[in-house]
Amino acid sequence: MKCRKCKTPAEVALPSHNTAFCRDCFSVYFTGQVEKAIRRHGLINPGERVLVALSGGKDSLGLMLELSRLGYDVTGLHVDLGIPKSSSAARAKVEGFCAAHGLTLRVVELEKEGLPIPDVKRYINRPVCSACGKIKRHWFNRVALEEGFEVLATGHNLDDEVARLFANTLRWDAGYLSDQGPCLNAESGFARKIKPLYRLSEFETACYAFLNGIEIHTAPCPYSGGASFTGHKRLWADLEYKSPGSKIAFYDGFLKRGRPAFAQVEKETGAPLAPCEKCGSPTSTGLCGVCRLAIAVSERRAADPDRD
Amino acid sequence: MITVFVEPDNETHAFERHNTVLMLQKRLGLRVNDALVIRGAELLTPDCRLNDGDMIRIRKVMSTG
Repeated sequence: MKCRKCKTPAEVALPSHNTAFCRDCFSVYFTGQVEKAIRRHGLINPGERVLVALSGGKDSLGLMLELSRLGYDVTGLHVDLGIPKSSSAARAKVEGFCAAHGLTLRVVELEKEGLPIPDVKRYINRPVCSACGKIKRHWFNRVALEEGFEVLATGHNLDDEVARLFANTLRWDAGYLSDQGPCLNAESGFARKIKPLYRLSEFETACYAFLNGIEIHTAPCPYSGGASFTGHKRLWADLEYKSPGSKIAFYDGFLKRGRPAFAQVEKETGAPLAPCEKCGSPTSTGLCGVCRLAIAVSERRAADPDRD
Repeated sequence: MITVFVEPDNETHAFERHNTVLMLQKRLGLRVNDALVIRGAELLTPDCRLNDGDMIRIRKVMSTG
C-alpha cells in the first residue's frame, strides 16, 4: 500500500477516506484536520489561554502535543480520581508527558477534595461512570474559570462524539442534543468548551500517539466494565466497516440539521441557571450536582461502620 | 512462527504462519481500524506481509473509559 501523497510505503490505512499515508504525510493530514476543526467552528481565538483536560490516554495527550505545536498557549489539567493503582498509573503518564515536552500541568486530587471515586462508587446509588464524568466536568470548568482560561479543550474524538450523539438520540434527550458539538460557547458560568479532535477517529489519534512516541495509559478503568458507551462504539464500528464514512456523515449532518432545532427547543423550555450556593458553579437547582454528591458521600461515609 | 502480543489484554499468541496483516487481524477477530499493528517502530497496513520470526504488537484503539 502506497501513500496517496508521496507514493512511499504507507503506514496508516484509512478506509473511511479511501486512502493511506506514510508517517510524514499522516502528520500533515492530522494537523490539517485539527486546524480545519478550529477554523470552521472558531474554537480558539488568537491570544487565548487554553486549558487541556488530560486523562493520560492517547486522545488528550495527542491533543495537548498538537495544540502546543500549533503555537497555542496550553496548560494541562489532570483530575486524579483516587482509584487505587489505576489513578496513580494514569497520573504518572500525564506527569511524564508534560515533563518530557516542557508543558505546564495542573493536578486536582479528588481525595483532597473529599470526593474520591471509590467512595462515590461505594456510597452513591447511580452508575459510577455518570457520576465520575459529572465530577470531572465540574472540575474542568471550575479550574478554567477560577484560573482565567478562556477555553477548555477535551480530547473527544469522532468515535466518542458519535457514540454520545447516538446515546442522546436513543433517549431523545433534547437538553443534551441542544448543545452537543465541537464548540460550546461560554455562558452562564461555563467556560467555552472545545473538541478539536472531533474530525479524527480513535484509530487516527492512536496512530498519532504512536508515531510521536507518546507514552500513554492504556489500562481500562477498573470501574468501567459494561458501560453502554462501549457497546455503542462497537455498533458504530460495524456500521463504519460496512459503510465507510457513516460516522462523520451522521455527526456532520446532526451539526447542520439537528442541533439547531434542539437548541431552539431548549432555548424556549430550558431551566434558567444560577450559581451554586456552595461552590458558585452554574446549576438549575440551589446546590449543584457535585456539591450534592459530596454531601451525600460525606454523610454516608460518616455513618458507615465498615469504613476504612 | 509469528509471536503476537495484544494490548491492553496483555495476551501473547504464537501463530505458525500468516501471510498478511489482514489475515492476522481476521484471525484475531479485528477489523482494519480496530487496532494498531506494530512491528518494531513501524505501523503495518493490512496488505503488509508477515515473516517467520516476526514479533507483532496489536494495540486495540477503543477506549473504554
